[in-house]
Amino acid sequence: MSWARERQTLDAGQIHYGPHQSLRLRERPSNSAVQRPPQFNWNADQPEEGAKGRPRNLKELPLPMELKKAIRQVQQMKVPVMSNWQSWKISKSKTMKRFLEESREVLAYVAPWRRTLHKIGGHFGGGVQSYFLFLRFLVVLNFLSFLLIAGFVLAPSIVFQSSPGNSETQNSIDQIECMIYSPEPQSLSVFYQYFLDLLTGMGFMEYSYLFYGFYNNTEMMNLQLSYNIPMAYLLTTAFYFIFCLICIVLRMGAVIRDVVKTGGRAVGGYSTLVFTAWDYGLQGNRATNLKQNNIRYQLQMDLEEERIRKVAASLTMAQTVRLYSLRAFLNLVVFGLIGAAFYAIFKATQFSQSQTGGDFLDLIVQYLPSIVITAANFLVPFLCDKIALLERHSPSTTVILALLRAVFLRLVSLGVLLFTLWNGITCNGVTESAACSVCQYNHKQYPCWETRVGQEMYKLTVFDFITVIAVMILVEFPRRMLVDHCPCKLAQFVGRQEFVVPQNVLGLVYGQTVVWTGALFCPLLPAINTIKFIIIFYCRKITLFQNCRPADRTFRSNSSNFFFLLVLLLGWSLATVALIYAAVMIHPSMGCGPFRFLSMMWSVVPDSLQLLSNSSRDFLYFMGSQAFCIPLFVLLCVVLCYIAALASIYGKTVSLLQSQLKMEGRDKQFLVKRIKELNSASRGKKR
Amino acid sequence: MGNKQTIFTPQQLDAYQDCTFFTRKEILRLFYRYHNLAPQLVPLDYTSKPDVKLPYELIGSMPELKDNPFRQRIAQVFSEDGEGNMTLDDFLDMFSALSEMAPRDLKAYYAFKIYDFNDDDYICKSDLEKTLNKLTRNELTEDEVRMVCEKVIDESDLDNDGRLSLEDFQHMIVRAPDFLSTFHIRI
Repeated sequence: MSWARERQTLDAGQIHYGPHQSLRLRERPSNSAVQRPPQFNWNADQPEEGAKGRPRNLKELPLPMELKKAIRQVQQMKVPVMSNWQSWKISKSKTMKRFLEESREVLAYVAPWRRTLHKIGGHFGGGVQSYFLFLRFLVVLNFLSFLLIAGFVLAPSIVFQSSPGNSETQNSIDQIECMIYSPEPQSLSVFYQYFLDLLTGMGFMEYSYLFYGFYNNTEMMNLQLSYNIPMAYLLTTAFYFIFCLICIVLRMGAVIRDVVKTGGRAVGGYSTLVFTAWDYGLQGNRATNLKQNNIRYQLQMDLEEERIRKVAASLTMAQTVRLYSLRAFLNLVVFGLIGAAFYAIFKATQFSQSQTGGDFLDLIVQYLPSIVITAANFLVPFLCDKIALLERHSPSTTVILALLRAVFLRLVSLGVLLFTLWNGITCNGVTESAACSVCQYNHKQYPCWETRVGQEMYKLTVFDFITVIAVMILVEFPRRMLVDHCPCKLAQFVGRQEFVVPQNVLGLVYGQTVVWTGALFCPLLPAINTIKFIIIFYCRKITLFQNCRPADRTFRSNSSNFFFLLVLLLGWSLATVALIYAAVMIHPSMGCGPFRFLSMMWSVVPDSLQLLSNSSRDFLYFMGSQAFCIPLFVLLCVVLCYIAALASIYGKTVSLLQSQLKMEGRDKQFLVKRIKELNSASRGKKR
Repeated sequence: MGNKQTIFTPQQLDAYQDCTFFTRKEILRLFYRYHNLAPQLVPLDYTSKPDVKLPYELIGSMPELKDNPFRQRIAQVFSEDGEGNMTLDDFLDMFSALSEMAPRDLKAYYAFKIYDFNDDDYICKSDLEKTLNKLTRNELTEDEVRMVCEKVIDESDLDNDGRLSLEDFQHMIVRAPDFLSTFHIRI
């Protein structure tokens, strides 16, 4: 680098303003015809003059600091011919920019676990760090949700509990048996009953702020203040769902931008691997050694995949047919396994619903659905991995298939649980059957069915939490002790634990989906989940640093972040469907809860709308009528088509520009060759 | 708040803030990191613009760079004399280009310079081989190295001259979504 030469020029005390004079010194006196040092046009008029353009452009110049300072001096000296208004505007925007930078710094300081994440990224790379960033996002989301629910549902309920409000009563005699609901525990209970109740959500915990059944349908209508608790309950839950959706979509937006810019799958795997795989943020000998092994492994894998692809392309027709039929058969086996898991969950849920809480054996029966779901989510992916070895896909396809199957299994198993519960509550949808004819729901088995559903979700959350802690204590720590202290061959073969990011993220998504499903029936579940995720963060951090080694295979953080958020969105949709079905299709319990005398939960909204003034009521009716909705729908379709057309045009432009770039390169080479030929020809002629 | 520092004049700090991606606090923090590398060489008063250059061995011993196989190239690219001996300006430049907020084009430019071992403004086959060997600690066989180099040039060489120019490199970087997060030193 000949920057020493430039330094002499600048040291002369003057800055050369001549066009390219100081920059020409940077040019190498080499023979290559293509020479492109970073140009800076000193005499440019700078159309982007103004506080916005100036400092940002300066930072982005690939020049040494001294040159940048010199340019800055030049720019400052060129500026004086400006009106007062412009200079005031520039200085104000500069102050604003400094203020924004400082506030961003403060915000980053306030964000929890900043230093921990920094350390994790340094030692284990971006992939593992993305898991912890995702976990932190979920913690913040749950905490904000808890504040929302506490503010609008919990606090008013506590306040209005003491003061007398209007509780509607219904004097319908033939439904008196539907209103029987006595969750108060017996006076004399064994000492460990409290512990069992804590785990199952029954007994002393059932009739508390934790579950739906405790809330009353009070409507405060004083002179100064009117608050309708049932409406607040329903609308807060709805708003909670919308709030989560907005947060997820915003976070996806940032990730999608990167994905679209690079046109989806990155073509050119080798060059990407060689030039962008090395994580410059890695520190420590162990991490860098592992990363180097990682890259070597990846390159060898890629070469191996290439070889396999060549072999696969050269298969005969008979062999191809045999391979595809084998794959179809194995897929059927996988579906069969997954179906068996669903059937097991279905049966377990039905069995456990028919029992009631009591002693310790009943605790196991209570937890049977959770146990079966967790066991299925462990066994079935394990078996699918073994089966996938026979399918002989390329390694990257195998990973993607395994992830898709795991996602399907986790979310649909929760769906099966919910489906079984709904069937039990509504007698398989047949309201005329014996058990459901009186109250439109099975009041013998479910005197307060919302609380029961809330208890199921509560049990799932608790069991998930216990599983994580138990696995950490009983599997991961002993494994590390074994590997470190036992010189036997088995220990060395098994090796230290690897932190597998996709499976851990799926566990988080599953936990969050359970919380979303249970939010309507167990309002304090987001708070419990916040605490649970915080404890899981610290547990995972401890296990990462004590027991794990970095993964052998690279984990592409950017493109997979989008996949995680997509799966989270799927879980959200599942929870939304369950919520809408519960709010609209099932008759609320008559013995408990804020909706006890309505035919469906949603009807509290139209009823309250009747109380509004005429004009606002007419306005809302108009918004819901066809005269408004159909034109709105048509307009949204038009906007959607426009944006889709725009996106496809951009995609075509990108590929057009790419091919143009290639062509220009070839043209350049051609011209250079021609020039050389002409030069040598003319030189030959002269002689 | 914190206007009491006497290391730089306000104009110097302003200039640094405009020329790098760092805020005041970060610039002062980086200065202290630089100073702690050689407290007896680096004065605590930069208002008179002293000409202090730290040798490469000190720079290369920083925990952020110590284990990086490319640390020597990084120091050479960002140093004035091309040998790796860095002034405070070079030091700030280096971490600014490698920071989170640096745009992709700037990082691609410097990454290109780092991987161009023979400084001829092209990444040719020998540069690629050296890069690969540093990446895998010389554990790939010669055959594998040759195959990978061929594939890389195949994929990225747009103008078909058998080596990568800056445009080829930048064009390839555009299609690599992870580049911004991996070409990043946290300090």
